[in-house]
Amino acid sequence: MTADAFLFWFLALITVISGLSVVLMANPIYSALSLAMTMISVAAIFVTLQAYFLAGVQVIVYAGAVMVLFVMVLMLFDLKHELQAFTRGRATGALKIASVGILSGLIVGAVTIGLTIAGRSSEELIAASASGGVVDTTRSLSEALFLKNIFGFEALGVLLLVIAVGTVALSRSKGGTHARD
Amino acid sequence: MTSMGITGFEIVINAVKLLIIFLLMVQAVPILVWLERRGSGFIQNRFGPNRVGPLGLVQLLADAVKFLTKEDFAPDKGNRFMFYAAPVFALIPGAVAFMAIPLSVPLKTPEHVFLIQGYDINVGIVFILGVSSLAAYTILMAGWGSGSKFSLMGALRASAQIISYELALGLSIVGIILLYGTFNLTEMIQAQHGGLSFKAFGYTLAASWLPNWGIFYQPLGMILFFAATFAESNRLPFDLAEGEAELVAGFHTEYGGFKMLMFFIGEYAHMMIASGLMATFFFGGYSIWNLTPQEVYNWCYGLVGSEQLANVLSVLLHFVSFSIKLAIFLWIFIQVRWTLPRFRYDQLMDLGWKTMLPWALGNTIATAVIIFATTYFVIG
Repeated sequence: MTADAFLFWFLALITVISGLSVVLMANPIYSALSLAMTMISVAAIFVTLQAYFLAGVQVIVYAGAVMVLFVMVLMLFDLKHELQAFTRGRATGALKIASVGILSGLIVGAVTIGLTIAGRSSEELIAASASGGVVDTTRSLSEALFLKNIFGFEALGVLLLVIAVGTVALSRSKGGTHARD
Repeated sequence: MTSMGITGFEIVINAVKLLIIFLLMVQAVPILVWLERRGSGFIQNRFGPNRVGPLGLVQLLADAVKFLTKEDFAPDKGNRFMFYAAPVFALIPGAVAFMAIPLSVPLKTPEHVFLIQGYDINVGIVFILGVSSLAAYTILMAGWGSGSKFSLMGALRASAQIISYELALGLSIVGIILLYGTFNLTEMIQAQHGGLSFKAFGYTLAASWLPNWGIFYQPLGMILFFAATFAESNRLPFDLAEGEAELVAGFHTEYGGFKMLMFFIGEYAHMMIASGLMATFFFGGYSIWNLTPQEVYNWCYGLVGSEQLANVLSVLLHFVSFSIKLAIFLWIFIQVRWTLPRFRYDQLMDLGWKTMLPWALGNTIATAVIIFATTYFVIG
């Protein structure tokens, strides 16, 4: 087994295990921490694919900022109360069955797509990756973002601004954090 | 070794190197603790630990024995797994991030080139920022796993602070990245070799008696970066996480013995990363005042008259230069801690979001405009 193959199988194992524990853990905090673990191991897989910048940004933005906020908010909840609210009642039962359906659909889909990729010959894949002729991934990424797709990039920025303003407006209505219930 | 390891020899060398740099880092912690306690005594006009051994140096050994032999204690209401996992994880981000900082010029032997650095990563800055941002998890795990209100409040404060100041930290070095046009720390240091000289409007300006360091190009970036690293490592004046008047000791209230010491090591590791990055970005990294490594090598060659010995000597000289810079910044960390009072929480957030972030953004835009103007417009 070459070093590359070993790294791939090792990281894939960690990613799959932590990904599964996101949905299988009963405690939401463990789920959130497993999700952070999944993101870090995906970043490590990016490194083995030589997409260093993407890996770094994945760790900074998703694992280092977004998931920390998730975990912070989860720690403020009364977890037992939330668990009870989601473990009884017909509506949540239907939700559970629906999410099981979606999860199994995702797994079946991933396996099918994986098999079709595995069916293609390795020469075909190498040709597909070499056609890009990418050397400096950071530079090519920024060229794609700021030269080719500048309009879409700016539009996404405006969209995020709208979301931020909307969130502030929603949290401020009805007295915001100073409201008494 | 330049590559990550294909042959057995490379893998062994890389593993040994990682171990040595980790040990260097951990060994520096007792010295820093001693320096901090003696230094605080000096600043506050008292003695500090001075009884055990010469100048109190053996006090740390006694402390380590005390920490190791303390009763192992975990709170009943807490989450045992998280409680024990947090201090172990606290060591990882600091150690992994410090490996990416180059400590000296590469050591050249006839067959191999050994980098004096844990590993050379093409996007060094992004890697270090990413890995050290993971430290927020260890604090949250400690705070939540302790099952105590003080710990949780301390952890929430600390992680909110880390996330807030990460923005200012990241933006303050964009100017440096624009200036050198690379994410690679070694290339950044190479750009700072020699005397001060730069091209502007078609002219070359030079002052060879000054070093070509980043601080002369990015003074505002330097101040913002240094201030943000204080917040990142949870040191005074930003140690709201452990405001002892309000929160007992913050996220490590329930920790004792060696578990608390591991949080300590994590904090000092963050200080070392911050000091190493300060030296790398703004003070020429391992390079010696307005000299290029080639000049240093030539001087060494003239001294010992053998290529091998000159190589080793030049590596050592550059390592000493880096260590001196590191030590100066670590001392500034300690001096500031024992000089400035603590911020109030709203002042901390105001400083981060309303002062440092706009200034960092302005610095980025101004740097971009100036680089564009001085490169593309030629006068005369």
